[in-house]
Amino acid sequence: MGSRAVFEQELQALNESLIRMGETVEHSIETTFQAFQDNNHETLETIIRSDNSVDEMERDIESKCFSLMLRQQPVAKDLRHISMALKVVTDLERIGDHAVDIAELALRLDQRDAQSMIQFLPEMVANVKAMLQGAIRAFVRKDLELARSMEERDDIIDGLFNRVKQEAVKLLKEDAAEPDKVVDLLMIAKYLERIGDHAVNVCEWTEFFDTGLVKNVRIL
Amino acid sequence: MRNAFNAQLDEMHRLLIHMGELCETVIDNTYQALMKEDRESAAEIIEKDGEIDQVERDIEGICLKLLLRQQPVASDLRRVSSALKMITDMERIGDQAADIAEIIKTGNLKAPAEALGMGKMAKATMKMVRDSIDSFVKDDLDLAKQVIDADDEVDGQFEQIRHMLADGLVNKSATQEQVLDLLMIAKYYERIGDHATNIAEWVVYSITGVHKSAELTERKEQE
Repeated sequence: MGSRAVFEQELQALNESLIRMGETVEHSIETTFQAFQDNNHETLETIIRSDNSVDEMERDIESKCFSLMLRQQPVAKDLRHISMALKVVTDLERIGDHAVDIAELALRLDQRDAQSMIQFLPEMVANVKAMLQGAIRAFVRKDLELARSMEERDDIIDGLFNRVKQEAVKLLKEDAAEPDKVVDLLMIAKYLERIGDHAVNVCEWTEFFDTGLVKNVRIL
Repeated sequence: MRNAFNAQLDEMHRLLIHMGELCETVIDNTYQALMKEDRESAAEIIEKDGEIDQVERDIEGICLKLLLRQQPVASDLRRVSSALKMITDMERIGDQAADIAEIIKTGNLKAPAEALGMGKMAKATMKMVRDSIDSFVKDDLDLAKQVIDADDEVDGQFEQIRHMLADGLVNKSATQEQVLDLLMIAKYYERIGDHATNIAEWVVYSITGVHKSAELTERKEQE
């Protein structure tokens, strides 16, 4: 088999690893949200333990990228592919981290339906879940239009975070809930907002792969 | 061939140092804005954050061109790849400083911030950022490891502030809204510490070929 064909195969393997990682973190987030809702300690603890495997996926993909850059002579489009992979894994790994962060806080809250203490929190969860799903799907399918439409959702999520924060202030003012719990719920909302930000980045990297532009600036 | 490569590598280093300095400046600006209520510093943060974003794009361009045209050998490849990864963390540091600036705008945080010892946290993260870039430029493994160790202290500072806020220890000098604002600011400083740690971890990789886990360890035969 010619070396170009081998290279193509390796790029394909890289792509498959990325898809696997994307789907893993998406599943991880969805599982965390459900376990948070149900106060399911066993599941929450499993999420926390399985973070290592997400980190390993990141390392594995980075290793593949470095190996490809070292052994082959990539042309521009290949390099775009490889450098995109290198950047996007950071965002995927962070999303995985935030699943753990939320799981740890959920364990500490130890309360079924804790979300309902803050009116806008369930809505925020639903929005982040939908946005992440869209971002991963766009990434897997290299769907530029879908990527762009997901980016627009970020403002909605930021707006919801502000609402959640206002409610948290109110709860503290009225002494209507334990301050510790209010603080933890706000931190969860903060992590949700961060997941949204990382999902936007994944969309931007999807765009870069297709266009060579990041936020309309030519990189490659 | 090697000369062109070295020239581009030098440019990459120059821009990295510049980006690092910008990161340090914006963290210092947040400190000045928060602890000294310095409005000028606060305004400068947003501007500098834009500059940080631009430099990230510039460095990305150079790194990718280096990889494309110069076909670097293993140790050069590690260096350029590390730079590509490090700048993501530096750009996030800029973003976090900008986020802190947004919150500070709401005003009157100086007294409770002092009560919480937030100045200490700001200074600690500034040092971590400075040292992490320094360690890359100087190839200083020990310095990089120091930065990684320093992260525990910053995490501890965040937990302390969080406890103080939840226990109502600043209720005399802050409204509930300010309490939560201060919590967010502390969280951002903690995140800056994490990013500085990531930079240091990439420095360790650049020097040794080992990054956090065995997967990225280079085999001798690749050299």
